[in-house]
Amino acid sequence: MSNIDRRSLIKSSLAAVMAGAAARAAFAQSSEPILLGVSGPLTGPNAQYGTQWKQGFDLALDEILAAGGINGRKLAYNFEDSQSDPRQSVAIAQKFVSDPRIVLELGDFSSPASMAASPIYQRAGLVQFGFTNSHPDFTKGGDFMWSTSVSQADEQPLLASYAVRRLNLKKLAVLHLNTDWGRTSRDYFVNAAKEYGAEIAVTEGYIAEERDFRSTLVRVRDANPDGLILISYYSDGALIARQARQVGLKQVICAASSVYSPKFLELGGEAVEEVHVGTRYFPEDPRQEVQKFITGFKKKYNGQEPDAFNAYAYDAMNMAAAVVKIGGTDRRAIRDAFTKVKDVPSVIFGTATFDVATRRVKGAMNAELVVRKGQFALWDGKPT
Amino acid sequence: MSSWLDYTINGLIVGNVYALVAVGLALIFGVSRLINFAQGSIYLVGAYIGWVAVVQLHTPLPLTIVVVAVAAAIVGLIIERFGLRPLQNSVRIAPLLATIGISFVLDQLVMLTFSPNPRALPSQLPDVRFQVGGGTIGPLDLLIAGVGLTSALLLFVFLRYSKLGWAVRATAQDRDAAMQMGVDVNRVNQAVFGIAAALGGVSGMLVGMYYNQIDTAMSLQATLKGVVAEVVGGAGNVPGAVIGSLLLGLVESYGVAVFGTSYRNLFAFLLLVVVLVLRPNGLFASARQAPPEPLTGTFIAPSRPVRIPRWALLAAAGIFAILPLFPVSFYVLQTLINAWLLGMLALSLTLVAGTIGQVSLGHAALLAIGAYTSALLSLTLNVPVGLAIIGGGLMSAALGTALISPSFRLRGHYVSIATLAIGEIVSLVILNWESVTRGPIGISGIPPLSLFGYELISPTSIYWFSFIVMVVLALLQGRLLGSHLGRSFRAIRDDDVAARAYGLSLNRYKSLAFIFGGFAAGVSGGIAAHLYSYINHETFNTQQSILALTVVILGGLGNVVGAIVGAVALVGLPEVFRIAAEYRILIYGIVLLLLVRFRPQGLLGTI
Repeated sequence: MSNIDRRSLIKSSLAAVMAGAAARAAFAQSSEPILLGVSGPLTGPNAQYGTQWKQGFDLALDEILAAGGINGRKLAYNFEDSQSDPRQSVAIAQKFVSDPRIVLELGDFSSPASMAASPIYQRAGLVQFGFTNSHPDFTKGGDFMWSTSVSQADEQPLLASYAVRRLNLKKLAVLHLNTDWGRTSRDYFVNAAKEYGAEIAVTEGYIAEERDFRSTLVRVRDANPDGLILISYYSDGALIARQARQVGLKQVICAASSVYSPKFLELGGEAVEEVHVGTRYFPEDPRQEVQKFITGFKKKYNGQEPDAFNAYAYDAMNMAAAVVKIGGTDRRAIRDAFTKVKDVPSVIFGTATFDVATRRVKGAMNAELVVRKGQFALWDGKPT
Repeated sequence: MSSWLDYTINGLIVGNVYALVAVGLALIFGVSRLINFAQGSIYLVGAYIGWVAVVQLHTPLPLTIVVVAVAAAIVGLIIERFGLRPLQNSVRIAPLLATIGISFVLDQLVMLTFSPNPRALPSQLPDVRFQVGGGTIGPLDLLIAGVGLTSALLLFVFLRYSKLGWAVRATAQDRDAAMQMGVDVNRVNQAVFGIAAALGGVSGMLVGMYYNQIDTAMSLQATLKGVVAEVVGGAGNVPGAVIGSLLLGLVESYGVAVFGTSYRNLFAFLLLVVVLVLRPNGLFASARQAPPEPLTGTFIAPSRPVRIPRWALLAAAGIFAILPLFPVSFYVLQTLINAWLLGMLALSLTLVAGTIGQVSLGHAALLAIGAYTSALLSLTLNVPVGLAIIGGGLMSAALGTALISPSFRLRGHYVSIATLAIGEIVSLVILNWESVTRGPIGISGIPPLSLFGYELISPTSIYWFSFIVMVVLALLQGRLLGSHLGRSFRAIRDDDVAARAYGLSLNRYKSLAFIFGGFAAGVSGGIAAHLYSYINHETFNTQQSILALTVVILGGLGNVVGAIVGAVALVGLPEVFRIAAEYRILIYGIVLLLLVRFRPQGLLGTI
């Protein structure tokens, strides 16, 4: 009898120990950060964008933590380098979907790498949140594909309006990056510009590695436009502006928001003076979201000025936090939370709400900027 | 009409820029018969050293040039001494591969030091412009032209009239004879690398100033354009490299004039192919140049292949076949799927490069042809996916063979350059032929893999499917190599003169090899298209061609099992190093260098 007692005693104490361990494990788990997966380039030709993402993410995470985290838990990310190569992004996708700690995925940078991985995320039911994916088919990959990427259908008509209606340019030359983004943007721009009564004199597509635009600019000169439209990133945009001035083209230059970067001013120098930029955000925008972002960014990164890609990443991380706050840590609930989030404070969109039909954010903000004295400034309406 | 003057001037200006890189490449090729794929990386290093000098040390221009030249020369000497000299007596392909590894390491070191963000490199010359034609040229244009022409002239004088120059030329003509005459061949090599690197560094700095921007991705493009210019001019010929560069600049400029900007690079690579077909040694190959080396021994390391016993192969195949039955993560399966797809590409390349001796640096083009064919067949004609993939294989076989056939009469390094160009041409045609390929928008919504009406969407089923396809292709290729036909292939590789004397039709056998190889690569591309569901012209790029060549050399040329082992290793290595994040490509480059150094004949040896 006593024997049995002893045994039951041992049993019950063991059970108590195990229960304690389980409780500790549960506690440990809740103090573990909520983990997001990021698939993006840290090496290879697009490495610079991955680096900019990290800066934006880290700033957002600092602020989220300072505000008490996600219901008391930390938010963190696991950044896997894909080099923006589809073979690697699919492997990373399998890694993320089979890792139960990952509740949401961000990225990839380019369309081939992102869309190659989409079927895996879709089938596994993990949200692929692409915030630089403007390819028109990205969100058609399934109901787990969401994007805050600038919708070109929204943005390009605003740029066209700036160029045609406000700056009164009637004959345009369009130079565009010959990628899915550049082509889609060009088509939206050209349609809107024509609608506003402009004539498109010439369009020229160039590949991302191109450095020499002199011959292209001779073609532009021969078409005799009164304005050049650049659908470019900041590095190629600055190159084109420089070479346009060097070969003696004096036309007004208008550029898409993607050139918005302090680097554009640094790389373009004198040549980008008086370049008009339609942009989503602008540091002197008095909105609180923007000012908080800029002061925070400068403080964290030794006075470095943020640019558009920093802002996309910062907004994406804030959006992810807002979604996780509603959806918790269940992947499917997080997908559903995308349909529920409303008016998330955002640098790019003012406040962001998803259009559930397209799974993209609608409502482009637009500031009309011009480069004056080496700075982006709000355009004062005076012709250049 | 005046526009044509402008196009001409612009072509000459950009040609000058190319010449800066091409001259260094030509010098090294002249002496070591080596296409130095690290030249673009030295150019990158030069640009960043220039940035440090100008922006942080505020050196005046003449001093900047000296600083950059000396620093780059030191980098060149280090590369020669530690990267290439140990490979002197190994196969010719080893140093080529080593330069690729070195370029990975250098690019990555620069990126880690300076971050990948582009930087402005201000020009240190006054910004005055002179009106020429409808455009203008500035002092920097003239300086670049001056540096290009002066260095070509100085090199010419150096090679013709100085004692070391004679030694360089003697070494170039016949290394062994030069050595017997008492020439210190190592010193010659060192001098050449130092000079070429100094030139490369200064050119990177000048080009950076010219565009007022430098970034860590600029090296590959510089190498590509430099190689094209050099080969057009006649590899190893310094004045030829300058003329080739100017010609390349002009052709690109006129191409833009007539057809528009998006065709620019297409004309650069078409020029290369046309020149190679009409004058296989370039436009200005001097008559006294050593005769082009026969294929014999060019890339093949004589070695005893590792014979893997049949039971071990069966066991390995068995283990991989039943792997999904065990609780392995989908990530591992997906990584292996990538390995099987790369394995099929490597089978294709090891057949053409290893067995018959036609090295290809444009093999990704075959993937692209297969992928686009299969995607379009299934999307627009509703062909079942299984058949569409076979269609992709057949199209790659037919089109690939037709495209590559002009290069059949080329030898040695020219074959790799021609195939590099063909690879680029295919990618650019895909970009521009919008009515068929949908241009830059790419093809999305490609149906998933399916077989007899069953969709293969779980990683497990895709794993088995790609594994079985690869094994079948490997078995077929193994049979082929053991057959009479396979022996004829190897006879052509080992001694094409003897093979021809024996009555073998070289072109026909090479075509046969490309047909079989093209099929395997096309099938790989087709499967990838259905796996990814979205492809565009960038999905299958030059880096993949280089990766495939690396796999094949790593495994052992012509070696079927080696190709698969190499594929698993090279897909696996970056995944293993994934935790190292930004450092992994650096580590990858170093591992590659070590492999080339200690096992140049490949892990399993040449068959």
